[in-house]
Amino acid sequence: MSEIGENTPNKEEEEPKGIRASVKRLVYGAAMHGMSRQALKSRMYFEHMFMLITLGDLMGIPILPPYYSLRILPYVVPQIKTWKRRMLKERDLTDAFY
Amino acid sequence: MKLMSNTYSTYTEFFDQKKDIRTLIFAGKGGLGKTTLSAATSIHFSNERITKTLVFSTDPQASLSDVFEKDVFGKGEIKLADNLYVTEIDADREIELYTQSVRQKIFDLYQLEEIPEEIEEYIESAKAEPAMHESATYDAMVSLVSRGDYKLYIFDMPPFGHGVRFVSTADVLDNWIHKITDMREKSEEYEEVAAKFTGKTKQDLAEDAIMGELTEIRDRLTFFSSMLKNEDQTGFFMILVPEKMAILDTERAITMFEQFGISISGIIVNQVYPPELLEDEDLSDFLKHKIEMQQTHLETIYKRFGDRVLAVIPMYDREPKGIELLSKVAKDLFMWEKPD
Ligand SMILES: Nc1ncnc2c1ncn2[C@@H]1O[C@H](COP(=O)(O)OP(=O)(O)O)[C@@H](O)[C@H]1O
Ligand SMILES: [Mg+2]
Repeated sequence: MSEIGENTPNKEEEEPKGIRASVKRLVYGAAMHGMSRQALKSRMYFEHMFMLITLGDLMGIPILPPYYSLRILPYVVPQIKTWKRRMLKERDLTDAFY
Repeated sequence: MKLMSNTYSTYTEFFDQKKDIRTLIFAGKGGLGKTTLSAATSIHFSNERITKTLVFSTDPQASLSDVFEKDVFGKGEIKLADNLYVTEIDADREIELYTQSVRQKIFDLYQLEEIPEEIEEYIESAKAEPAMHESATYDAMVSLVSRGDYKLYIFDMPPFGHGVRFVSTADVLDNWIHKITDMREKSEEYEEVAAKFTGKTKQDLAEDAIMGELTEIRDRLTFFSSMLKNEDQTGFFMILVPEKMAILDTERAITMFEQFGISISGIIVNQVYPPELLEDEDLSDFLKHKIEMQQTHLETIYKRFGDRVLAVIPMYDREPKGIELLSKVAKDLFMWEKPD
């Protein structure tokens, strides 16, 4: 899964730092400041949150030791494939979380 | 560096005062004597204090087998004598079994024929992480202690294990769990009434499962962290030899532990050549010099660590191995008297 934010083809390759930064902003921002009603409704937030807790170490935001990340992994299997793409598409949504 | 003052000044006094002691942890760099002193202490407790004791090596360089002269590696909890049990986990095998159970869970959840490539990649890369071994052993520690089959647990730790990081991980994760729980509650308030009648969605269930796992992980990490911080139930000893580097390393480690809210119970100085040897005229210059250096460093140790020094153990003329020789080490440990 090193491909998240790295080694990704074409357009995605251009801004790995930007993606990382926006994920960080997204999650920390939401955690610190609470979220708007809209954002809550979308429930996208939790998905991001869980993915981040599980795979955060790959993005330079280690939250769980990898040993324990593996316990969460089975539950996020369907999201892993699409997550990266969605992160890119919804990057602009970040603002909605503030 | 701040050392809390204490009312015990020897190893024996420590145990005489701490009647609720449940866990002992030996830390320090490799080769100083952690395994030897863990083993000696386990013999003392099982024998002299009739305490059902488990000594557990978390050091990947399997060594209890070596000091007890019996192969116990990866064999579970082995009884060596009355009240004396030993276990040395085969972390590689534990990790293999554990990752296999993760795969199984994925098969079960999604009825897959095989694990998707990127998932397999993730599992393999996690497996290769150096921290994996450590986590697996700490997790095994938590399982053992929470099962509570023994009265005393003695942990022979890997050289300056980064296990203390677990302590802060527990707090971080606890924060996340609170935040998520809080938000989930709020988000439920906002959800449309209609949704309530349809019951929990698939996504809700997945979230619940994740929250369940996170909470359990948090509890395990917290268990470990409160164990380390509980001064009535846990003895945390650092092993030291009278050498300059070892003294510096120990000071650094103590500072680091204190940053995590862990204070050490005491220091045991090991491998000290008896100064009486200096009276021997045939003593080689090498040893003479060595002994003099050790005495200088010993003074430094007393100056820096003061009343935290709970025992000074001599350098024996051969490696203390096997129950008989280890009993002698135990005697030296528990009979030590503080010089004036
Ligand atoms: N006081 C001592 N006198 C002589 N040899 C010792 C003494 N303490 C430890 N040793 C030997 O030194 C080596 C390292 O000790 P060990 O207990 O395995 O250290 P650690 O577990 O900290 O790596 C072993 O071979 C052990 O037998
Ligand atoms: Mg050892």
